[in-house]
Amino acid sequence: MDKKIVLLKDTSIGAADKTKEYYSLILNLLRDQNLQDSVQVVRVADIGFYDQGLVLKILPGQVTYGRVQESDLLPVITETIQGNKVLDRLALEPNEKQLRIVLRNCGQIDPENFDDYIAADGYAALKKVITEYKPEQVIEQLKASGLRGRGGAGYPTWMKWNFARQVKAEQKYIVCNGDEGDPGAYMDRSVLEGDPHSVIEGMMIGAYAIGASQGYFYIRAEYPLAVERIQKAIAQAYEYGLLGKNILGTDFSFDVEIRLGAGAFVCGEETALLASIEGKRGTPQPRPPYPSIKGLWGKPTVINNVETLANIPVILLKGGAWFGKIGTEKSKGTKVFALTGKIKNSGLIEVPMGTTIRDIVYHIGGGMLASKGIKAVQTGGPSGGVIPKEFLDEPVDYENLQKLGSIMGSGGMIVMDEDDCLVDIAKFYLKFCVEESCGKCAPCRIGGFQMLSLLENITSGKGTASDLAKMRRIALAMQKASLCGLGQTASNPVLSTLKYFAAEYKSHIEDKKCVAGKCRYLLNYQIIPEKCKKCGLCLTNCVFGAITGNREQGYILDPAKCTKCGRCYEVCKFKAINKG
Amino acid sequence: MIKLTKENFDQHKTGIPAVGKNWIKVGMSTCGIAAGADEVYKTFVEEAKKKNLTVDIKKCGCLGMCYAEPLVEVHVEGVPQVIYGKVNKDIAIKILEKHVGTKMLVNDYIFDLSLTMKKVGK
Repeated sequence: MDKKIVLLKDTSIGAADKTKEYYSLILNLLRDQNLQDSVQVVRVADIGFYDQGLVLKILPGQVTYGRVQESDLLPVITETIQGNKVLDRLALEPNEKQLRIVLRNCGQIDPENFDDYIAADGYAALKKVITEYKPEQVIEQLKASGLRGRGGAGYPTWMKWNFARQVKAEQKYIVCNGDEGDPGAYMDRSVLEGDPHSVIEGMMIGAYAIGASQGYFYIRAEYPLAVERIQKAIAQAYEYGLLGKNILGTDFSFDVEIRLGAGAFVCGEETALLASIEGKRGTPQPRPPYPSIKGLWGKPTVINNVETLANIPVILLKGGAWFGKIGTEKSKGTKVFALTGKIKNSGLIEVPMGTTIRDIVYHIGGGMLASKGIKAVQTGGPSGGVIPKEFLDEPVDYENLQKLGSIMGSGGMIVMDEDDCLVDIAKFYLKFCVEESCGKCAPCRIGGFQMLSLLENITSGKGTASDLAKMRRIALAMQKASLCGLGQTASNPVLSTLKYFAAEYKSHIEDKKCVAGKCRYLLNYQIIPEKCKKCGLCLTNCVFGAITGNREQGYILDPAKCTKCGRCYEVCKFKAINKG
Repeated sequence: MIKLTKENFDQHKTGIPAVGKNWIKVGMSTCGIAAGADEVYKTFVEEAKKKNLTVDIKKCGCLGMCYAEPLVEVHVEGVPQVIYGKVNKDIAIKILEKHVGTKMLVNDYIFDLSLTMKKVGK
């Protein structure tokens, strides 16, 4: 018998991890069968399945068993390990929820090694395009692929390219938008750091299609490693003659430069971004004219997001029709999400469009942290909204998320549990937009500020019944009258929480209560005499003198002096402080 | 440096030396580095030299499993290729001794997600 390996992990949720016990059990059984030298048993940290009880994986062969009971262990050893027979009743289907197109090389190749990228079929699409395709054919392929912009709005990429292509101009530009600013989103950084050449290649194919000879990477200065790697990759491409004059010996010439964003969120908006590249103050301009017609220095300019560009080489290499088969009717391909919040496996995931939120949270994310109940999922960052748990089985694509009152956005996905207060979340995102508002137009500058002060009143117990109607009116005005996407969408988190969690707003306003216990001004702290061991730790930790008493008589908390800082609650080892 | 042309492009590609039989890749993106990948990488390089092991130590980008950084992928002939997560200096040494040295997998640090994702083939 060949040497076998058994991987094991207890994936039960909410119960103690019994991996070690099963490990010893299997070792003993193997010893009984005199197999201890030909089988290695390995405890693993994550086996790729969740809530499936004890999971065993037998290598080679990748036979995977779930919900394995103690009584199953012997048959697994004698039949599968010794007899190579698969026990159908235990076998698990592969949990292949992820599909990696954009992240195909991330974690696989050395981003600073040019030949690593070439060996992974890098620049093969570029070669094919500039030696075999006319620009129109490139756009046709993109049309067939159905690729839509991954930066947020989901505008069809081929249309953008086609507009710019049809304008007659001596000079055209292509810009890569790497000014990723949504809180919690970092997929662009990861692609720029892990596979910089793929973004350059995507940009070059775009330049060829629209007839641009100059490209710019606009990357935020907060991403120093991404900038460094792109810089290195550009230098390598120049060295090998893939950038510059007469690329690969053809008539196609293209140059690339990097511009750093100085940390303004609004510069992710395309007209503000262009102003910033031109060296002007980063404020948006009214559209039309759209940048594809009149952009950088008045010339036709295409602006594509990092993730969009990273898709391009694969599409051209494998064909638009191939890409068009992945995803849903109107949203093709995959989407990378930065999965964060109260989830076990936080990180970057890439799923085909149409994957349900439940699959993302439970089958990829590994379920909720601390096994608490899920409350909602936030997508789209400060321009997006929340999706309550009732809609977990909805597929994720551009149209569907919009229907639910959120947006795809750049791909942040924040999972929230029962401890999160949705009013507080709405306040957080709105505050972000108010701070990042450039101040050029009044609806965004004044509307945002006023709406935030209403929200602050509500979360500190000073809200009135008319506040909700006022917020709705301001939100509508901002949506209709703001100059750019920032102001138009800044009220989305407020509107979507109002839509799905009106009861939570109501309890803040009418009952002056925050169910999740997040809004500190609505909390009342009390010492429970029955649980109090009179240790005095709360007294020494209260710097506001709100707790009085001594070790004989116990302690009392004076609500009038309490600032609700929560320090006593944190330090009490006996859970004798009541918060509510 | 030769300039690539449409004529010599494929030749250059086939001329790229194949990856060594044994290799270790360390995830060195911002998330990995923040979690301590620099030290892990250094440990691998130094200890492999000290122990006289023939194994290529390479750098790579982020695999996406940011919760388990620093991540290390190990390929040794005759042993299944696996990913170790939450690796620190001590575990790096253990991987070299046990996985590379005696061809046995190390307990408790494998993140086996091979059945959870499809990759676009060539």
